[in-house]
Amino acid sequence: MDEAAAHAGLVLSQSLSDARAICPNLEAREIDRGYIAQAFADFADWHSNASPIVSVLTDQAEWGDLILDITGVSHLFGGEARMLDRLMNRLAGLGIAVSGAIAPSVGAAWALAHFAMPQVIEGDMEAVLAPLPVAGLRLEAAQISALNQLGLKRIGQLFDYDRRALQARFGATLLLKLDQARGFIEERVTPRLPLAEYYTERRFAEPIGLMDDVLMTARDLSFQLSGRLEGEGLGAQSFHLFLYRVDHKVMTLSVNASRATRDALHITRLFTNRAERLLGEYDAGFGIDMIRLAASSVLPLGETQIGVFDVRDGTADLDQLYDRMASRLGPLAIMRNKFVNTHIPEQAVKLEPAIARTADDPHAAPDPVLKRPLRLLPQPEPVTVALAEVPDGPPPGMVWRRINYRFVKASGPERVGVEWWSLEKPLVTSEAPEGEPADIAINDGIGLTRDYYIAEDEGGRRFWLFREGLYGRGEQRWYLHGFFA
Amino acid sequence: MEGLSKHQALASLRARIDMLEKRPLLAERAIPSNAPAFFALPGGILHEIFTDQIRDTGAALSFALGHARKLLSAERPALLLLQLAKDSLNIGVPYGAGLKSFGIEPDNVVIGRLEDPVDLLWAMEEAIACRAVAAVIADIATPMKALDFTASRRLNLRSAASGSSTFIVRYGREREASAAHFRWRVLPASSAPNPFDARAPNGVRWHVQLEKGRLGSRRDAVEWTLDWTGNGFATVEPQGDATQPAGGAALPGAHPAAMGDRLSQAG
Repeated sequence: MDEAAAHAGLVLSQSLSDARAICPNLEAREIDRGYIAQAFADFADWHSNASPIVSVLTDQAEWGDLILDITGVSHLFGGEARMLDRLMNRLAGLGIAVSGAIAPSVGAAWALAHFAMPQVIEGDMEAVLAPLPVAGLRLEAAQISALNQLGLKRIGQLFDYDRRALQARFGATLLLKLDQARGFIEERVTPRLPLAEYYTERRFAEPIGLMDDVLMTARDLSFQLSGRLEGEGLGAQSFHLFLYRVDHKVMTLSVNASRATRDALHITRLFTNRAERLLGEYDAGFGIDMIRLAASSVLPLGETQIGVFDVRDGTADLDQLYDRMASRLGPLAIMRNKFVNTHIPEQAVKLEPAIARTADDPHAAPDPVLKRPLRLLPQPEPVTVALAEVPDGPPPGMVWRRINYRFVKASGPERVGVEWWSLEKPLVTSEAPEGEPADIAINDGIGLTRDYYIAEDEGGRRFWLFREGLYGRGEQRWYLHGFFA
Repeated sequence: MEGLSKHQALASLRARIDMLEKRPLLAERAIPSNAPAFFALPGGILHEIFTDQIRDTGAALSFALGHARKLLSAERPALLLLQLAKDSLNIGVPYGAGLKSFGIEPDNVVIGRLEDPVDLLWAMEEAIACRAVAAVIADIATPMKALDFTASRRLNLRSAASGSSTFIVRYGREREASAAHFRWRVLPASSAPNPFDARAPNGVRWHVQLEKGRLGSRRDAVEWTLDWTGNGFATVEPQGDATQPAGGAALPGAHPAAMGDRLSQAG
């Protein structure tokens, strides 16, 4: 409840009709819990610029309790007190009512944030917790009212109480929460963002700004990380470089490798390529004072024997080459052919990124008897064709891109029918109006049939063209689809 | 004596220049001196393959693929086909099933689709330097300023150093200065009669002119008609065509006086 509402005389847990009586122009809306929880989660992620471990506590409310593990982070803000100040001020600046605390345990921080002034405590938590109400232990409502009935209103009163009696009366959770708040038992939070277990970082006394310096640091960090991974017999497929700017923003540079690696030079090269690509977006602001290199998708990677028994089959070299190319050009720039089990020519081969190859379908290999062109146009292009001399015969010539071709040799037809078992894959040509082909296919099942011809013109060019629809049945359209060698 | 020492000095200077220009790398892969030696040219060479028109794209690419096919081996299993993404609308995309029909295992082929010429040149250099790449074929349908003499020189040196060949497929009659070792002009030719059906086309056939570079010791051999056997090139004897006089360089549809032709195109 905000100040404006309190000023109007509204109180919490008031019935809607009472509230309407007090405040006639009240507008009531149902709360969309899912939406608010999602919005709060996104908001929590934004705080990862302050600390990598950000979590939302959901045991008391779906949203509203944000936990940051600031171990090793506070120096970026000039100490814990200033960090707390800064984080709270920036939220207050956004118009959000905020309260916070920094404490050695999650429970203590929560209690302080909810029932005390913003403060930083370390060391003796019991003294700080003692005067706070028992609700600060994140208990269930039934537990709180039972404690209050017994006159146990402050947390401090529980410290000296007989633990066995407390457990018997209020359940084990009370003792657990109590011990967690005092720091006797560690309480873990689930970070919202995936946590990199393997990382190395370097902090700078003076902020750095130049990309070259960043890459040099990345190289040093790669060697450190590589040593660590090697010691544990591991390799990783993704590497992330986090650049923490002085003005608390984080820039991320991520690269992926097609197979797990720990080759420091290779990792450095990937980052260099990626950085060259993103140089325009690079903005060091007032400087970078910490760089972290993290590895994720960590997989076991055995020792490699180098030397006498080295088999130079080149596959490792190739994978590294594709990694490097993809790191600069994007994963969709370097493609390999993947066969799909279908007769439809343009769907029979699809391109997939070379660094993310999937298993091949053994039934999809092309029929070696069928002649296929070396190049395929991305979309069949309509051509004007003089009428064939015989039904189902090859065309005597065509006009394509305003040039006339006269065919001297031709073979065909090779009939490619519609795949009736998968009508969601209609044959799409560049001119076919949307929706129509599927209708025809359902009506008579022949509308999408194609007759392919290989035709050679006087100059020796060999084309692959097809007629859509059967001869003598309605309108026929001709398309050029590919070029033979 | 003095003449001899002058000769020696000249020879040693030439050797030095050759070394600076990495010529020994090319020379030691002795190109066989019998005429159609391009049946199996060694790796590490920069080729330029020109064809006159965009619509002859199939012939030019297949000629490059024919050369590259010979360079694939267990140690060098990869073949990269690079083109600009915007060109693919015009000249089409290499088709995996067609590569298989041509005799190249599609699994060995990686297709690169680049956004701009700088990326294309970068990708070419990066790929050539890899010791597992047999050949890089760049298919450039539009005029490219970035591909100047310096760029081609870089590609040439990289190819020579790493042993993977580079093929630059280009279109049109314009010839720019380039450091390519060989420059071919490739035109499609009417295919051989199909033994099973006289009206049907047969396999690939090219008219090939060697515009730059020399194969072996024969200077006169600059034009051939070639067939593709699925495994390698085969020369076609011009006697087969009754309308043409036998022997010499007079091939069906070939341009007379290839040397003069080349000079006239140089500008």
